[in-house]
Amino acid sequence: GIDWAPESNRLVTCGTDRNAYVWTLKGNVWKPTLVILRINRAARCVKWSPKENKFAVGSGSRLISICYFEQENDWWVCKHIKKPIRSTVLSLDWHPNNVLLAAGSCDFKCRIFSAYIKEVEERPSPTPWGSKMPFGELMFESSSSCGWVHSICFSASGSRVAWVSHDSTLCLADAGKKMAVASLCTETLPLLAVTFITENSLVAAGHDCCPMLFTYEESQGTLSFGGKLDVPKQSSQRGLTARERFQNLDKKASSDMANASLDTLHKNSISQISVLAGGKDKCSQFCTTGMDGGMSIWDVKSLESALKDLKIK
Amino acid sequence: TRRRTGEALRAFHTAIRSSPGSSRSQAMKEQAQGTMLKVLTSFKSSEIEQAVNSLDRNGVDLLMKYIYKGFEKPTENSSAILLQWHEKALAVGGLGSIIRVLTARKTV
Repeated sequence: GIDWAPESNRLVTCGTDRNAYVWTLKGNVWKPTLVILRINRAARCVKWSPKENKFAVGSGSRLISICYFEQENDWWVCKHIKKPIRSTVLSLDWHPNNVLLAAGSCDFKCRIFSAYIKEVEERPSPTPWGSKMPFGELMFESSSSCGWVHSICFSASGSRVAWVSHDSTLCLADAGKKMAVASLCTETLPLLAVTFITENSLVAAGHDCCPMLFTYEESQGTLSFGGKLDVPKQSSQRGLTARERFQNLDKKASSDMANASLDTLHKNSISQISVLAGGKDKCSQFCTTGMDGGMSIWDVKSLESALKDLKIK
Repeated sequence: TRRRTGEALRAFHTAIRSSPGSSRSQAMKEQAQGTMLKVLTSFKSSEIEQAVNSLDRNGVDLLMKYIYKGFEKPTENSSAILLQWHEKALAVGGLGSIIRVLTARKTV
C-alpha cells in the first residue's frame, strides 16, 4: 500500500515484507525512514490521518498498527488495535476528526475504531458515532455482508461510512440515523473500490471494469443504482466475414457476433478510485486505476452532460 | 389455463415465503428444497418470466440459491427447466445474484 500526505508532502508505503517506510523529500531525493509495525504477516493497506501526524496500517496479522512519531526518541512507534478483528484488514479510511478510523476486513465486517493517541492530539469532542473514544474502542461494527470488505470510505462530514464487499453488495451506515445500515445487492460482479463524491452520491467500481454511480436516499434510508459511468460510444457493427464465422463456430461453437473484448475503458478490474479535485463532498474529478495497468481521470461535469439520465445528488 | 397458472404462481410465492431461512435443521432444509423443486418443475416455460418478475431483489437471490441447489441434485428432466429458470432469474438479478449464491454463509 501507499499513501501521500499532501500538506507535509510525505509518502508512506507498506509491504508484504511486514514493514512500512515514511518517505521525506530532501532536495530532490526521497529518503525512507523505517517504521517497525510489529506484525508477522504482510501489510495490506496504509492511510495517513487527516492531520498527517499518524498513519494506520492494515495487515494479515488481523490487526491495525497506528503509527505516530515520538519526538524524544526521534522514531516512529506504533500501537495495535486487535479486538475483535478476526481476519486480514483490507481497507482503511480516517474520519475527518483525525481520531476515528474505519476498517474493512476479510472477516466480512466493517468496523469503526478510535485511534486516539494522547501523545499527539487533544481529546476529541463527541461525534454521532459516540462520545467516549479511548484508543481501540469499537464504535461501530456491521453485520450484514457475507463477503470480504474490499474498500471502505467515510463521507466528507464523517457521519456516513460506505463499504463494498465480495458478495456484490454496497452498504452504508448513517450515524445520523442511529447507525442504521442501508444495503444494496447489486447486479454486478463484486466491487473493489468505493468513494463518496457528494454526501449522498457514491462512485464504486470493481470486477466489471466500469465505474458506477450509487445514490443514498436519506429520507428512506435506501441505496440505489444510479447508472454506469463508462458508456462506450456506439461502434459500427461491421459484418463478419465467412471465415470469421467459421472460426467462431470452431472456437466457441457459436457464430455469434458478440464481441469477446470489453467495451469499457478499463480492460481489467478497477482496483482503486481516488478523488482528485473537489473533496468527497463536491468531487469534480476522480481517478480510477486498474489491473490492466491503466489510469483514467473522470470529470464529473462532463459525465453529467454526456449521460443524460445521470443524477448526482 | 389461467387458473392453473394462478395456482402455480401462488405455490411459488408460498414456497419462497416459507423458506427456512436461518434454520439449521437439515431435514427442514431438504423438505423445502424438495417442495421448491416440485414447484419450479411444475411451471410451463412461458410462465417463468412472469413469476420471476413478481419477486423483489431478496426473492430473486433466494430463487437463485434454490436453482443452484436444484442443479446439485438433478432428477430426470429437472435441469432443463431449471436452466430456463436460471436464464430468467439472471436477467433480473444479474451476475451479482450468482455471486451471492457462492458467497452465502446460510445455504438453502
